[in-house]
Amino acid sequence: MKKISTRIWLLIFAFLIITVVFMYVLTDYLYERLYVEDTEEMMVEVGSKLQTMYTGSKVTDEFIANIEQYTNYSNLNIFAVRNPRELSACVPFDIDFETLIGPEERQQLLAGEYVQKIGYEPRFDRQLISVVLPLVDQNRLEGIIYIYFPLAKISELANNEVISLFVSAFIFLIVISYLIYKGIRHIMRPLSNLQRAVEQMSDGNYGTRVTVHSKDEIGRLSSTFNKMAESIQQEDEAQKTFLATVSHELRTPISYVKGYSEAMQKGIIPESQKEETIQLIVREANRMERLTNELLLLARMENEQAEITLYPIPLAETLREVQKILTHQAEKKTIALHLDADDALIIKADEVKLKQVFINIIENAINYSYEQSKVEITAFEDNGSAQITIKDYGIGIPQEDLSHVTERFYRVNKARSRADGGSGLGLSIVEQLLKQLQGKIEIESEVEKGTIVKITLPLMEE
Amino acid sequence: MLKKWVFFIFSLVQLIWLAGCTGKSFDPIERDQDFIASLNIQEPSLDFIDGQGNVMATWLFDKAYSGAILLENDRVLLYGHQLNEIDVYTLSTGKKLYSKKVKLGTTNVYYAENKKQFFIANSKTNTVTSFDEKGNELATQKLGNYPMSMAAYKDKLYVINYKDTKLSVLNIENLKVEQEWPIQKSSHGIAILEETNELWIGGHGEGSKPNSSVKKYDLTTGVKKGEIKMPLMPVGLTKTKDAILVVSHGHNELYVADFDGNVKWEQVVGANPFAVNQFKDNIVVAGYDDHTLYFIKEGQVKKTVDVGKGAFQLLVREEKM
Repeated sequence: MKKISTRIWLLIFAFLIITVVFMYVLTDYLYERLYVEDTEEMMVEVGSKLQTMYTGSKVTDEFIANIEQYTNYSNLNIFAVRNPRELSACVPFDIDFETLIGPEERQQLLAGEYVQKIGYEPRFDRQLISVVLPLVDQNRLEGIIYIYFPLAKISELANNEVISLFVSAFIFLIVISYLIYKGIRHIMRPLSNLQRAVEQMSDGNYGTRVTVHSKDEIGRLSSTFNKMAESIQQEDEAQKTFLATVSHELRTPISYVKGYSEAMQKGIIPESQKEETIQLIVREANRMERLTNELLLLARMENEQAEITLYPIPLAETLREVQKILTHQAEKKTIALHLDADDALIIKADEVKLKQVFINIIENAINYSYEQSKVEITAFEDNGSAQITIKDYGIGIPQEDLSHVTERFYRVNKARSRADGGSGLGLSIVEQLLKQLQGKIEIESEVEKGTIVKITLPLMEE
Repeated sequence: MLKKWVFFIFSLVQLIWLAGCTGKSFDPIERDQDFIASLNIQEPSLDFIDGQGNVMATWLFDKAYSGAILLENDRVLLYGHQLNEIDVYTLSTGKKLYSKKVKLGTTNVYYAENKKQFFIANSKTNTVTSFDEKGNELATQKLGNYPMSMAAYKDKLYVINYKDTKLSVLNIENLKVEQEWPIQKSSHGIAILEETNELWIGGHGEGSKPNSSVKKYDLTTGVKKGEIKMPLMPVGLTKTKDAILVVSHGHNELYVADFDGNVKWEQVVGANPFAVNQFKDNIVVAGYDDHTLYFIKEGQVKKTVDVGKGAFQLLVREEKM
């Protein structure tokens, strides 16, 4: 009962049995109906012809003898009765005698109609089909012609045939159920393959795939399974890469800090370089701090699935504040920050998170711009949302990397040089934040020409 | 919708109940009107027919009466084998005079005019009980199995035990059994011939062997004096002033015999006739199966009258000549 195929098989088997039984009963019924009807019709026909031999008045001995003679050559049992007692003539009196016909039948016969009976007849101690025809003369029931035929049941008539019928029905059932079993096995095979694959999958074997043979439900389920397996595998690999990256990213500053501080301890560093070395150690420590902070932030955001409350914020004001914060950083590279924002824009957001988004993107723009270039920030309404565009004229991002830039630790510069100072988490954080702020990010870029980042944020509804 | 039906049925039941309460009244039959009445038992009714063969009145009953007798001239007593009371109606008013509770199983009621008493034979208790005209019980006597046919002569009551092999002769006053005569089983129909001091009885015959004779017994001693060959199942015997009328329901025949047992004439008549009687100068035979009375005069059917289903008994009232 464990397997679904067994259940389906049992169900079909049960239906088969019901069908066979029903067919048997129906055949039996039809046979009896047709047989009985046919016999009855024939009996009435014969009886009606015999009736014509009766010419009225008393039923004579000759008539009875004639009927008797006829029955000798007939396969029907026929006899004529004239004893009034058998005909229920004494009905008003209490008769301790089993009559051949009852009072109701007598009435029917008196009316000139024939009587048909099916069932057990005590007089003959058998199941019978009988037809009784009246011999009536001027309202007088002078006698009857009684015709009967044993009501042989189908089983009685054809015992051997019934046995062979049962045997063939049995064999039919076995063959058919075997075929159905095979058929179900065939249909269910992809499903059991799938089930095995899922088991392997749950054991951690993410490379498992099933072969898809059909386009039916099971086929679609299989291909969906394959897609799912692929996603899980990718995710698993990403996780592994992430861990490797994190440890790598952390190990580099740690080995710097360790190396320099040990060198200082041992007095290898000359006095004149000490100040510079300490600065180096602080810088690497800062890097570590920043990295861990950002990782924490990301982790928290990923866990923080509950919706944060958004409130109205004047967009231009926030952008101006961000501009102010980053002006110093831009001036270092003599990059000009141009801001052009529509003051009327009020968006729905969280101020801290919003600022973080802008800072990350504009910092990136500054970092990857050449000296003495510019970064243009614009904010306008577009299709009922606020669109903020941050455009730089920097090194740009190659087309093949564009879709990966929001992945954690993904860096266009694979050398992972710390010269550009990035942790590789900035855009991941932006993406997560924008998800919380119900915003969207779109990045267009051309190598050596610059990058355009478009952010769409929901406007405050009036 | 249902409510309507319930109300309708309720009203109908009420109506029937109220009708029952008021007491059914039938068409009255005038005191000096001669008639022959046919009691029909398949759909219980009583048809009153005058000397011209016209149906004067039909009393339709809703009780399963299986027999009736006239008490004196103006009353009719109705009984039923499956009924636990007898009803007496006054003919001249058409109203019920009284009902009397009796035991189930009344097979026959006989009225002895000289004693002004009636006798009820019961097949369940196997008794005969005598009553006065007002319905007061007088005496009871246990008899053989299934007492039914009865006839009285002088101070004796003759009772045939239908499912037994004896005829009981009772003292009509106290119903004491005085004699028991051996007879055939399934005997039915009695005629008493004072002229020859004989008692004739008919019968159906026992089991599948039908009877086809009328037996003659000595009225005083019960000695069997002979048999008269008759068609199958002579069960209706009636004595007239000069003949005995016998109907054989098995062969649908009427036999008219003189007192010596010689068949004067015979005739095939009716379908399954159980009763025969004389009315005016007609012999009337009731056909049970064809629901017809046959008026026969001089060996010829002069008139037929359609009556209710199952004509079983004939009651005659006419001025004594």
